[in-house]
Amino acid sequence: MRAAEVDVVSIVMASAFTVTLVGLVGGLGWRILTWSRTPNPLPIPLAPAPRGYPGVVLRLAVETFLFRSLARASPATWLPAMSMHYALLLIVLVHLRFVVEHLPLWLLPLLRISGWLTLVALLGLGVLLWRRIFVDRVRYVSAPSDYLHLLLLIGIVLSGAALKQWGGVDLYRVGEFVRGVLTLDWQAFPLHAGLVAHLLGVLILLAVFPISKLVHAPGIVFAPTFHQRDRGGSRRASSEGDG
Amino acid sequence: MSAKAAPPATPARVGRYRVIPLLVEGSAAKTGPRQASVEVRAARGLPTTLPTDWKARALTRLGQLVDERRGLRVFLETCTKCGACTDKCHYFLGTHDPNNMPVARQDLLRSVWRRHFTFAGRYFPWLVGARELTEAVLEDWFRYFHQCSECRRCTVFCPSGIDTSEVTMAGREVLASIGLAHHYTEEVVEKALRIGNNLGMKRPALAATLESLEEDMHEECGVPVRLPLDDASADMLLVTPSADFFAEPHVDGLIGYAKVLHAAGIRWTLSSEATEAANFALFTGDRAGMASIAARLRDAGRSLGARQLVIGECGHAWRVAYSFMETLVGPLDMTDAAHSRPEHICEVTHALWSSGRIRLDPAANKGVVATFHDSCNVARGAGMGDRAGGQFSLPRELLQAAVPRVVEMSRDTTQQRTFCCGGGAGLLADELLDVRIKGSLPRAQALARVVADEGVTHMAAICAICKTQFGTVLPAHGLGDVTIASLHQLIGNAVVLDPVAAAPGASAVSGAEPLSLSAQQS
Repeated sequence: MRAAEVDVVSIVMASAFTVTLVGLVGGLGWRILTWSRTPNPLPIPLAPAPRGYPGVVLRLAVETFLFRSLARASPATWLPAMSMHYALLLIVLVHLRFVVEHLPLWLLPLLRISGWLTLVALLGLGVLLWRRIFVDRVRYVSAPSDYLHLLLLIGIVLSGAALKQWGGVDLYRVGEFVRGVLTLDWQAFPLHAGLVAHLLGVLILLAVFPISKLVHAPGIVFAPTFHQRDRGGSRRASSEGDG
Repeated sequence: MSAKAAPPATPARVGRYRVIPLLVEGSAAKTGPRQASVEVRAARGLPTTLPTDWKARALTRLGQLVDERRGLRVFLETCTKCGACTDKCHYFLGTHDPNNMPVARQDLLRSVWRRHFTFAGRYFPWLVGARELTEAVLEDWFRYFHQCSECRRCTVFCPSGIDTSEVTMAGREVLASIGLAHHYTEEVVEKALRIGNNLGMKRPALAATLESLEEDMHEECGVPVRLPLDDASADMLLVTPSADFFAEPHVDGLIGYAKVLHAAGIRWTLSSEATEAANFALFTGDRAGMASIAARLRDAGRSLGARQLVIGECGHAWRVAYSFMETLVGPLDMTDAAHSRPEHICEVTHALWSSGRIRLDPAANKGVVATFHDSCNVARGAGMGDRAGGQFSLPRELLQAAVPRVVEMSRDTTQQRTFCCGGGAGLLADELLDVRIKGSLPRAQALARVVADEGVTHMAAICAICKTQFGTVLPAHGLGDVTIASLHQLIGNAVVLDPVAAAPGASAVSGAEPLSLSAQQS
């Protein structure tokens, strides 16, 4: 540790990250534990439901990764939602460059298209925000937090893009700081107004994740309508030669 | 084959399927359920006045339910307000009232739950749309949880798999715990628990009804088709919704079951101990009541020594029997291993028909152009047969075999995406008629289309609630000329009865040679 360089700002930033990450992991763990401990008194799968577990896994995968039900409901929501989620996922992957010390080769193509990813994410988020504001049904059911979640994501993406374009931040030192937080070996924070803004957004996002609707991500797997199977057929040995 | 002189049909005035309406706040606020009478509430063990500590009681019950039901907990926590469900509910499409959008209906409960049970709602209620539980909120709950038929169509479209019916049931249960209960639903549950069926019909009345129906059938088809009651020598116990005993067109369905079973030579019986397949306790979330009503079916089967329990045409009865019965009352150990679960009458008829033990002659339904209405609880709450999607294909194959022509309604309104008739989950009550008519709009639109384009004359259903509801509300949409038929009514018309094989005495009375066996061997 280069103690001399770890100033007050660095300590504040590193502790904020540490606390938030602990909160994220603990909060998500607690929530998932609560879900799995809550009993399922009656089977309520949405029929027709798969009869076996491979079918259930497939159903969960299709819902989680392809948003099948949303596609059924509204292609106009599905397309921006898919764009937004997958662009953000890839952008998060690109940020692995700050976690691993040596850039893995497979990350290079993603790095090259990260500008496009930013654009796709912003378009998706923008359409979702537009829907929330202008479609009267969606506006009716939206609370301030629903807009703020979108604005927060837009803010994070925009500040990140701005940093990349005009930042002049020492990326290697950002990586050192991040790795320091993750290994509990705190390093100096490369102070930069834009970077602080970007990271503040990220911190808020991670902090509210387990206590807001953002937990819908793991929630899909715990929805009994999706994860329960149709047990009817297996309990019956038909003697009637039923078609 | 309508015997009516066919006056020019009042042109359907329902518009095309499907225009997404703009919101009209409060447009369905005038229609509310009737509060259960003091007598009914007392009989159901519910508070007869609003307790002074109602708020604490309601919140305690809500907290318990969230702790007891994973579905409810996950559904309250994971909604992203994406809007996918907002245009999927028939009550919303019919009333334009925003509180009838599934997510908004859930939010009636979710906002209160957030306020009292979550961090964000406790400290930043304005931020997350959390609301204090007030008497005004109770009124909204009572009204709009009785404008939901728990049909689960919205679930089909929800990316998080949220089932509004679980929220509605929980809401109704919390309301009941402080004495706010729906008269019609609770009265039905009370009658089912005390007398054994929703109508409060006792054994002598039932026996007389069945006897006169037998006479009618004999006169009509010249074959002594029986409607046995409490026949201990029977192999099969049939439990139907009690509407099948007297109401039109339900009773024609009962006659249809009898003809099919007669033609196949199956020894079957009805039971005066289990005269009701329906289980309205499902609708109020009352699990204990649901279990005791379900147990009646099993017990009747045991006491008669039946080997097989069969459920008649009733949508939610089939959901309870297929999906919940084993959990509620344990395995049906009175039946033999080949019949280890309750069976649907359509499964029985389909098996008999596909194995050639009965024959169906569509010419008997000459002139009928039929379409099939999938009942919500069968479509989305159960299965049928041993094949995936059997709840859609079995009834359709039977219908196709029984009538000359079958036409499908818009694919957005059938099978898994079917619309509720608008009368489910206790909404069949008279005081809710306005909402029932409006809620049947999407189905009426899809039906009007096939009536105009394909000349549909009959709509078949396999649910007592659907049949009653459509008979009442379709005339309001200018579709009064469409005949609402029990599926087994059309099958009963078409089944070929052999007068020789069915000589008097050959049915349930003679135990020497069970016809089911001889038919199987031949």
